[in-house]
Amino acid sequence: MSRILVVEDDAATAAEIVDALADHGFTVEHAADGQQALATIASGNFDAMVLDRMLPGTPDGLGVLETLRAAGVQWPVLILSALSALDERVRGLRAGGDDYLTKPFEAVELTARLDALLRRRYLPQQETSLRAGSLEIDLLNRSARRHGQTIALLPREYDLLAFLMRHASQVVTRAMLFESVWGYRSEERTNVIDVHISKLRQKIDVEGQPSLIQTVRGSGYILHAPD
Amino acid sequence: MRLTELPRTTSFRLALMFLALFGTCSLLLFAFVYWQTVGYMRRDQDEFLQRQLTFYSALSPTDRVQRLREHPRNDPGTRRPSGEFDAQGNWLVGNLSALPAELRQANHPVDFDLVSADVPVPFRGYATQLPDGHWLAVSQNVHDPREFEALLLRAMLGAGLLTLLFGLIGAVALGASSMRRIDAITLAIRRIVTGALTERLPVQGSRDDLNRLAREVNSMLDDLERLVHEVKGVCDGIAHDLRTPLTRLLGGLERAQRRASSVEEFRAATAQATEEISELLRTFNALLRISEIEAGARRAGFSHVALAQVLADAVDFYQPLAEEKNISLRLHGTASHADLTLWGDASLLFDAFANLLDNAIKFVPAGGQIEVRLDAEQHAISITDNGPGIPINERKAVLNRFHRNEPSRSTPGNGLGLSLVAVIAHLHDMKIDITDATPGCRVTLSWPPRQ
Repeated sequence: MSRILVVEDDAATAAEIVDALADHGFTVEHAADGQQALATIASGNFDAMVLDRMLPGTPDGLGVLETLRAAGVQWPVLILSALSALDERVRGLRAGGDDYLTKPFEAVELTARLDALLRRRYLPQQETSLRAGSLEIDLLNRSARRHGQTIALLPREYDLLAFLMRHASQVVTRAMLFESVWGYRSEERTNVIDVHISKLRQKIDVEGQPSLIQTVRGSGYILHAPD
Repeated sequence: MRLTELPRTTSFRLALMFLALFGTCSLLLFAFVYWQTVGYMRRDQDEFLQRQLTFYSALSPTDRVQRLREHPRNDPGTRRPSGEFDAQGNWLVGNLSALPAELRQANHPVDFDLVSADVPVPFRGYATQLPDGHWLAVSQNVHDPREFEALLLRAMLGAGLLTLLFGLIGAVALGASSMRRIDAITLAIRRIVTGALTERLPVQGSRDDLNRLAREVNSMLDDLERLVHEVKGVCDGIAHDLRTPLTRLLGGLERAQRRASSVEEFRAATAQATEEISELLRTFNALLRISEIEAGARRAGFSHVALAQVLADAVDFYQPLAEEKNISLRLHGTASHADLTLWGDASLLFDAFANLLDNAIKFVPAGGQIEVRLDAEQHAISITDNGPGIPINERKAVLNRFHRNEPSRSTPGNGLGLSLVAVIAHLHDMKIDITDATPGCRVTLSWPPRQ
């Protein structure tokens, strides 16, 4: 079970985040400001942190992050901010953040992103292929096979599938897909991603069997890996 | 108009200042002219006297007596009386009857008066003692030159006084006119402050500073009025567009309260409600996003964006949706301009293109065509469809928030897409034009060359 530290000064928002993460199965600790956050980090082991960009007093969110990275702490940090301004995002990521989320956000967006961050941490980077049941993709020559049959995929379809397979058995939101597959950041365009997913499904699914990519109502998608 | 305020007006003070400056200059000029003229005339008279005296002195005594005796014949009006006197100053010869004391005392030309018919007449004379002790005196009537000098002085003084008078009248008129205009402007501003936003500052025909200022303020007021209308439009739009889903939401929940009996039914009702609320939140987020972009906050995150790449990505992103509706979506001009960059935000530009494509796909009927073209020479990107097009009178309005023309009210969307495009375009100094593609609609985004 992953331990998550939530650093957020607004009590209501903090309670909401803590509840959502606890519901998702994380063990959660909460710190209300930068000082408390650093003290909590020193006294315990964590797997990831949700960090508010704006904190009262010093150090603020970026200060905590810089202290942490300077001390050699490597676990993933997801930055929260009320500002969606691009330069804020860039500054957060440059200071050592791994992902960035703008308030207000939906709980599922936060948990899905945390799952992805934690997964990235444990996933060996030197994999050359990924497998989900009878579906297999080769990361080196960017090809996909189902039951040994090569599937002809467009580059973007391959990227989409690879991302879903990297996060197999995890919910990935449409925003996450859009960000990592298309490389732009936007809060909209969800219906179009559905069309891309349905095209991908047509290519990789086998008739008579349930689709590998399931729609999670109100959240996004999940690629099931039947063992 | 209050007279006490007149001296405080800028134009009155300026007029007074120029009057003082002009007055001083004129005074100096007059003084110079007077001094030069009078000086020249007096020198001329003195030189004449000097010449006469030298001429007579050089003659032999008998010749001189002869000449002086003949002199009255050449000078019938006694305008240049001359004469010779003995050492005691008693008259010997000539038409100057007595030697004035002033002439004896001074060794240079001097003024003196000769009384003729009880009226003193001004003369100028010069006397010298000859070697034999006699006095020789020459003189000249200077009544006319003196009159001229006095006339000159009077004319100059009169002109100066007239200038002063007209200057003062002018200053008062200028001050009063500017006060009247300022009063009119003040009145207009007061009316605007109390809410008459259609009111404008009065502008007269000329292009003077006050008019220029008034024109600037008026154009600012135009902007303000437009903004206020826009804000009002947004508020109305929000109220209108949110009432429908909120009513639906309320209805659904009430129905569930009355009728639902099982957990399943309640779950369905909450799922329905969640969906509605998400839609509302999306609308609010879109609104916030537009105002955030409008505030220019994201310009700080600008970088060089490969425009062709972003456009190609957007087209690529929408291709499946177009295919699904059997619409042909084609892209031209990006391959040859892959190195074209624009200073901007890639995600925002993608959003702008995506919104335009989204609209086009939404409104073009099945089997239609959409052409996307990057024209690097014209610094423009155009998206042309052969759908129903946008009526000419709505082409500006569609860029406003919440505007949706009637037939599109039934299609999904929050009416914010094109206004998002408009603010993104504005942020990137792009111009957005909606033109007719007969049939259909062409949206062109153009940017100034060299960025």
